[in-house]
Amino acid sequence: MAGITLRQVTKKYGTLSVLNGIDLDIADGEFLTLVGPSGCGKSTTLRIIAGLEAQSTGDVKIDDRLVNDVRPSQRDLAMVFQSYALYPHLTVQQNLMTPLRMRDLNFWERLPLLGFLVPGRRAKMAQIEEDARKVAEALKIVPLLGRKPGQLSGGQRQRVALGRAMVRNPAAFLMDEPLSNLDASLRVHMRAELSELHRDLGATFVYVTHDQAEALTMSDRMAVMMDGDLLQLGPPDEVYEDPQDIRVAEFIGSPKMNILPGESDANGTITCLGLTLDEGLATPQPGKVSVGLRPEHLHVQPRETAECFSGRLTYKENLGSDLFLHLEMAGVENKAVIRAKPHEVDFAAVGETVWFKAESGRMRVFGTDGKRVALTAPDTKRKVG
Amino acid sequence: MGRNRAHIWFVGPAVLLMIVLLILPVFVAAALSFTDYSLGNSSFDWVGTKNYDALFSRSSYAKMFSASLTYVLLVVPISVALGLGSALLISSLRIGGELYKAVFFLPVMATLLAMAIVWEFALHPIVGIVNDVLSAGCDIGWLHALLSGSWLGRDPLSSWYGDGCADSFPLWLGDKDYALGTIAFIGIWQGFGFNMVLYLAGLTSVPRELYQAAQMDGADSAWERFKLVTWPMLGPTNVFVITISSIRSFQVFDTVEALTRGGPSKSTYVMIYAMFEKGVKQNLLGIGSAITIIFLGFVLILTLIQVYFVNRKVHYG
Ligand SMILES: Nc1ncnc2c1ncn2[C@@H]1O[C@H](COP(=O)(O)OP(=O)(O)OP(=O)(O)O)[C@@H](O)[C@H]1O
Ligand SMILES: [Mg+2]
Repeated sequence: MAGITLRQVTKKYGTLSVLNGIDLDIADGEFLTLVGPSGCGKSTTLRIIAGLEAQSTGDVKIDDRLVNDVRPSQRDLAMVFQSYALYPHLTVQQNLMTPLRMRDLNFWERLPLLGFLVPGRRAKMAQIEEDARKVAEALKIVPLLGRKPGQLSGGQRQRVALGRAMVRNPAAFLMDEPLSNLDASLRVHMRAELSELHRDLGATFVYVTHDQAEALTMSDRMAVMMDGDLLQLGPPDEVYEDPQDIRVAEFIGSPKMNILPGESDANGTITCLGLTLDEGLATPQPGKVSVGLRPEHLHVQPRETAECFSGRLTYKENLGSDLFLHLEMAGVENKAVIRAKPHEVDFAAVGETVWFKAESGRMRVFGTDGKRVALTAPDTKRKVG
Repeated sequence: MGRNRAHIWFVGPAVLLMIVLLILPVFVAAALSFTDYSLGNSSFDWVGTKNYDALFSRSSYAKMFSASLTYVLLVVPISVALGLGSALLISSLRIGGELYKAVFFLPVMATLLAMAIVWEFALHPIVGIVNDVLSAGCDIGWLHALLSGSWLGRDPLSSWYGDGCADSFPLWLGDKDYALGTIAFIGIWQGFGFNMVLYLAGLTSVPRELYQAAQMDGADSAWERFKLVTWPMLGPTNVFVITISSIRSFQVFDTVEALTRGGPSKSTYVMIYAMFEKGVKQNLLGIGSAITIIFLGFVLILTLIQVYFVNRKVHYG
């Protein structure tokens, strides 16, 4: 069991900077997710933790032991790869046994044929087979032990890859998009299974994904990365509720947060698309701001009332339980999306104008630099937007 | 019915060409191998298995089989090992790999006949650079001591090099003990670059994640990773390279024709050269065809072995 610490880790490929100073403290036994769009440096971070790639500057510590110059195999970590990376010429059982053979048998004992002559090898091999079998039983892959990876389905390979990571009882598991090659329903199933595995093993999990649903459902804490920066680190609900950066706000949540253009005056009062909002800037500063509102915090009004946003309905997306209304709004670049219950918006027809209000206390405002700005409490004197 | 004949017009020409150009010649050769036909003769006699009896009883043909097999057994393992080794080294280079690739591939691209002439000069017993260099070393005391083993206290004359210095260095292509080895050396020199290119292609298809998995699993040294990942993953390439090298080695002809013409005393009398000599130069088509059929038999066996391995052993699907 181990905690992992990254201090000011950077990575450059030639002149291309891929990681710009990552600081990360992963607690012992934690399920931490690294999430971010493709190419943001998640895999690179994971490979640096694993030791498969050397950082350009900065330190990696495992349980307060500096491991910058420690080999991958000596870091006591296990990795599950996106492609599973099973040895195709070995059976499932041999795949499971490989990490143990490498660790427990010495050079002579691993030699083909000659190895059998080394005293004590039999006992060691019996122990290794026993350990591999236990893991296979835990993962319910005993019937597959004699097969080769080529004869397994995607989900079965996934399990074998997990098993190969588990046999050594590593201090921490590193997983690089382990579910992305599975079909949708299996992925949902494996999510639950991985969470359960994490609870059972109590080991540290560092999990890389670009799928925010995986990050939100499985992790104790999630780290949102973008363009080589760690933008925000926190529990999933905190990241969802309180994004500290407009890029985080837009990346987490589906459909994504609506961003409306706004302007604040010298008193801190914010106007957005001609409406005055009920919250103002805590530290007034005149200038442009971006007002973020999640689709579920917008409520459709049956008829036009005062202080309402409006937009032309272009598309109704029906998901059964929910309905997403896509609205074209004057002065807003992207279409705004409202989440509603189907029966609430029967009257709205595509092509017509729809009026809606924002729930009080739900808006998140970002400055021109993309950072969150604090707001005052809702003010009844200011008008409700 | 007329409409149903259409397929014949689609398939027919291709099948006809295949039969006329590829299959028929083999059958003609097989038929000729049971005759005493010579080109230009108006008739021939069936002689049964006389040609084959000759092949398996006369000592010159025993020498032919032995020369061909020795050549194959020398050239295949060494050129395959060199090809794999150089491919591994080149693929681990950060810079300069392209240069090495080009240099090692040069002999493959060069015309072997032209290169053979260069080798003939280099290996000339009197004016050749090889023996010049060897005998120049005799006059350098420490080099002579090192190479002849006299620094270990051994009698210099008992070693190959010391003996060469005292007496003379080999005639290479003119010595029946050295000629085949020398031809094999040229074959290796010429062929390993081709194997290297095949191995380089094979290496690029090994997934990088497998190496990383091996590293995580504790395969710390390059040798361990080679054993765990590279060698098994190169299985299909190995089979292909070994088969191709074997067939190419069985087919060796141009160096023999240019440098030794099968001699001295038939020490380099390889199969294709024998085929050429009998069938073309001496116009004994019967015996030439018999050699051809035996040769095809060898190639067929090699191909079948390859098919067996490719299907059973090295494809992990
Ligand atoms: N060996 C390399 N040489 C140069 N650039 C590289 C190398 N490996 C990765 N990169 C670059 O580093 C950046 C981050 O790569 P990384 O693999 O960490 O992305 P990622 O966040 O895992 O993306 P994905 O979700 O697509 O897997 C990318 O822009 C990539 O092009
Ligand atoms: Mg990645």
